[in-house]
Amino acid sequence: MNQASKILIFFCIFDFLVAADIRISGANKAEYWVFVDEGLDSLNYKEHLTEKLKLSASYDDITLRGVFFFWDPSIAVPGSLQYFDFTAQYKKAPVSVLYGTYYTTFGRGLCLNQFLDEDFNNDNSLFGLKADFEFYNSRLTLLTGKPRNIFFEELAYSIKNDTTDQIRGANLETKIPISKERVNIVAAIAGRYVRINRASDIWPTAFTELYGGNIGLTVGPWEGYFEYGQHMGTNPVIGGRLKGEGYLFTTGLAIPGLGVSCQYIDYEDIGFGGPGYRYNEPVTPIKSGVSVNRGIDEIGYGATVIASPFDFFSLELSNNKISTHDPSMEIFEEIVVLDDGMDGVLEQIAKLITHPSYDMEITAGFERVIKQGIELPIEKKTETKPYLDVTYDFGAFFIETGYEHTFVSSDTSDYYDHAISFSLGRPELFVLSVRYERRSRTPPDWLIPKLGEETSWPMVELSLDLTRRNNLRIRVGAEKGGLICSGGVCRFEEPFKGVKLVLTSMF
Amino acid sequence: MKKLFLFFLVPLIFSLADDAEVQAAPDFTLEDVDGNTVCLDSLLADGPVFMSFWALWCKMCIKELDALKPYYDEFDSLGINLLAISVDKARSVPQVKPFASSHKWKYVVVLDPEDILRDLYSVQAMPSSFIINQDKKIIFSHMGYKPGDEELIIEKMRELSDEGHDESGE
Repeated sequence: MNQASKILIFFCIFDFLVAADIRISGANKAEYWVFVDEGLDSLNYKEHLTEKLKLSASYDDITLRGVFFFWDPSIAVPGSLQYFDFTAQYKKAPVSVLYGTYYTTFGRGLCLNQFLDEDFNNDNSLFGLKADFEFYNSRLTLLTGKPRNIFFEELAYSIKNDTTDQIRGANLETKIPISKERVNIVAAIAGRYVRINRASDIWPTAFTELYGGNIGLTVGPWEGYFEYGQHMGTNPVIGGRLKGEGYLFTTGLAIPGLGVSCQYIDYEDIGFGGPGYRYNEPVTPIKSGVSVNRGIDEIGYGATVIASPFDFFSLELSNNKISTHDPSMEIFEEIVVLDDGMDGVLEQIAKLITHPSYDMEITAGFERVIKQGIELPIEKKTETKPYLDVTYDFGAFFIETGYEHTFVSSDTSDYYDHAISFSLGRPELFVLSVRYERRSRTPPDWLIPKLGEETSWPMVELSLDLTRRNNLRIRVGAEKGGLICSGGVCRFEEPFKGVKLVLTSMF
Repeated sequence: MKKLFLFFLVPLIFSLADDAEVQAAPDFTLEDVDGNTVCLDSLLADGPVFMSFWALWCKMCIKELDALKPYYDEFDSLGINLLAISVDKARSVPQVKPFASSHKWKYVVVLDPEDILRDLYSVQAMPSSFIINQDKKIIFSHMGYKPGDEELIIEKMRELSDEGHDESGE
């Protein structure tokens, strides 16, 4: 079925339903950029238009959803990208049946994690059939689907997994309420199976299977969760059977004014996918979203404490680490230490928020990130960033001002970035922001093709609330670019100099 | 130029529907951070529902929920159910409950890691908030947050509770 037929069928059904008593809603995000490209000789600017329109119609137990996406760059290569996704769902307890494009995660994602990260432009969907059945505090999910990963990097959208992969999976979760009397005690147990086949393959490989399960226990404010996954597949390049494993343990304590969360991860060939994409996206403990190799060879931990003993004071401390394994170390040392022989990330965060008065908020923070073997060819890079933000609300208007200073120390050179920002806003109307960022050095010659020669990045942004459900953002100036990450997935964002318009609507 | 024209055209068509404020609220059943089932119909049987979509990474969402925190007891006593819908993905779910507790939020924190509710309510920008009356109609929706925006939400909830009292003759 071609694209036009799909759109036609969707809107015929949609039109039919309009006659009935249904709820129709939607959202739209349109982005238009015009920016300078030094690499182009005759026409030294580019345009970029992205349009994403979502429509949803619900009638009784039936929901139809459609997403129209259109990206039109001003250059012929890689060319435009457009698609129309639809979903039809019947949901009436205890059954839900869905056909079309969907997202799903089994457990915390060691076996299957197909998700949409709209803010990071990472779309991991499945197209096919999914059914859920609920019975006796349990839920059984059966699914089949073709995966698709649309990812935005270096100013272009692309489909990362251009394969004939097909995923089938089953997940059974059960909850056992133990006590509701004085303390809420709930136990949870789950098991799952995922199988990935290729409909056609130039070099046929054995199909891939992932098994797993999890157990969890909640006792009042305390929670513990353990997930295990096993990967049976084909060794890339060398061939032969591959066996991988992954462990994830999280625990948390939540009492008013105090929150503690800890996690431990250990992955050995559990990450499954191909170059640049995964069908299971193992968790990274690093808050800034960095991972080392996305579930191939990783070990680490994360610990965060947030305390608000008084209403005017809150303190957050976080220490997180992920690295490759080092068999020469003891297990505990391997988890917490980042030594020279490992690739990895160590992240330390301290943030203090205080309200000296009802109208004022002051945030003082400190972040230190050590990256080893992550931003090659730089072997080791340490970024230390103290920052301060002040917000003051004086009735009809508010102001927000901030300063951050990032000391960067790497094996090639030492330098610093610093930025100052100021915003003035009026509730329900607008926010006008000005930001100026500067770097203390020009990039070395080998980095200029990637980062450009700029050492300062001024920026002005106006965010206008056209109505309560329509917002227009106009951004003029420069962005420095660099590596940005979310949920273990990273991309290099190119430097930007130009204008961005973003119109967001909800209807 | 053609691209700029297209940029404004599509949203313009759909923004025409902007005045249609009152819409039927889609049903949902999800779990909160304590593992309890949260169902819109059951909540509406007790009173109107306010819900705000937030995430751990969304600074303005947290500011909005912090700004509404002092009014929680007032609205709770008026029978309004206050929900904070976390759209954090499965990987971040273990941090949601400790975070909400550390901020002393009393809202019912609902988990929506697969964006089920976010899709149903067509949430495109964060935070987005909605007020649903007992007739299961969305009587108020708001996108984004700036310090001071909470005044409008508070005003709407007070109006709603006044209407409820008028109807019941109190």
